[in-house]
Amino acid sequence: MHKIVFLFLILAATLTAKSAEQNPFDRNCVPCHTSVGVSLRKTFMNALLVYSGKENMKAGLAYFLRYPRKDISVMGEKYFATHALKEPTTLDRRELEEALEIFWERYKVIGHLR
Amino acid sequence: MLRSERRSLLRFLTLYALMAVAVVTLVSYLYYRSSERIMLLEKKAMMADYAATQIRRLERLHERFPRERTYPRDPRFRSAIYDVEYRQIFSTMRNNAVDFLRDIYRKYGVIHFVKLLDRYYLGAKYLFIEIPDDRRWVASTVRKIALGAGGSLLLLGILGWYLARLFVRPMRDSIELLDRFIKDTTHDLNTPLSTILANVEMIDPARLAPEDRKRFERIEGGARSVSTLYEDLKFATLESERPLQIEPFAMEELVQERLEFFEPLIRARGLRIHRDLEHAPIRADRQAMARVVDNLLSNAVKYNRPGGTVTVRVGPGILEVADTGRGMDPETLETLFERYRRGDDAEGGFGLGLDIVQRILRRHRFTIEVHSRKGEGSRFTIRWKES
Repeated sequence: MHKIVFLFLILAATLTAKSAEQNPFDRNCVPCHTSVGVSLRKTFMNALLVYSGKENMKAGLAYFLRYPRKDISVMGEKYFATHALKEPTTLDRRELEEALEIFWERYKVIGHLR
Repeated sequence: MLRSERRSLLRFLTLYALMAVAVVTLVSYLYYRSSERIMLLEKKAMMADYAATQIRRLERLHERFPRERTYPRDPRFRSAIYDVEYRQIFSTMRNNAVDFLRDIYRKYGVIHFVKLLDRYYLGAKYLFIEIPDDRRWVASTVRKIALGAGGSLLLLGILGWYLARLFVRPMRDSIELLDRFIKDTTHDLNTPLSTILANVEMIDPARLAPEDRKRFERIEGGARSVSTLYEDLKFATLESERPLQIEPFAMEELVQERLEFFEPLIRARGLRIHRDLEHAPIRADRQAMARVVDNLLSNAVKYNRPGGTVTVRVGPGILEVADTGRGMDPETLETLFERYRRGDDAEGGFGLGLDIVQRILRRHRFTIEVHSRKGEGSRFTIRWKES
């Protein structure tokens, strides 16, 4: 019996790890932002100030991630005094779409005000 | 006033009234809209201040989100925020049927003011401010409109009456001219007609040669026809207003007398008479009723077909005169009793006969019915209460 429970836990841990590994947002965006010390929440709120709606934001950010330029970044000029401009993303279109969808759902304001 | 004159006047007044009501309604509507606009402009300044206050609060909440999640509220107004894709982010409004295209408007008892944000705090591009519409301005505006519209309609009504009189004046002038002409002519007809009839009476047709007798009958028929016309003209112009002299008499006797009078004319036209005269007591003005009978007989002769039949039936409370002429269509029947309305231009006449008949019968409170079918003939039925 103990063996069965142990094997089940091993299997669940493996699947969870696999799932996290397959999420392009957690795999690409989170580690990068963590390493440069820029909060994803702060980034989202900055993006919200510029893009307002979900589709608009996803389209705007997708373009920036593929063709990064300082003048179209949501981070502002001060940010680039201490940080370099990011490299173009290596994610394909589908992964980028998925990552941005997760980004929106994780930090969105709609449904979180009271 | 003649029926055609009354109808023209009615048409004019209906058209005028419709136009007047349309103009007053349009002006009232424009005034209402303008009052609404003025009220909204007055509210707009106040609501713009509310919006500025709310934007500052949204900015603060944006900076503190998600540590702070409570949407800012204000007892003076309700509000809602929408993103660039028209999706509602949050709302405290009662009425969420919003219009993104107008900056301020009334809807379902509230006033909405829309402010576009330069920076999209919490993702909001559109900020709606809502206050209740107290509708005090509506009561005041409606009162002003009612007063204004009432006054305008009264003035337009007076103007319309004046214009209507101008409108029918040419028609009235023509009728008066014709009446005057007939009156003058009637006076001049009397003497020569009396002379002709007196001399016709003195001639014994039996002593005339057959071809002369035929000519004489035509002359006699023509003279009696003119006599009927003269009596009509006299009645229409000189006697129509005289008081009725009601007396009891036997209708069948009057009809028989008038048939004898018309006999030469009927003979001259080659018509047959079918008479069915029962005793029919009546209380009426005998002279006036003679005009009625004469006109019905005259028409039955005039509008009959060659070789046709004139049927006269008298019974208790009823007189019927029918012909086998060309008949009338329903359109002609509608205007049959109008003055100066002629059945057929070829037959001549002034078109007074049936107008006189109707006027006399109305004064007596007798009824008249007409049944006519095109190509088959016409039947006039007069009814009265038996005395």
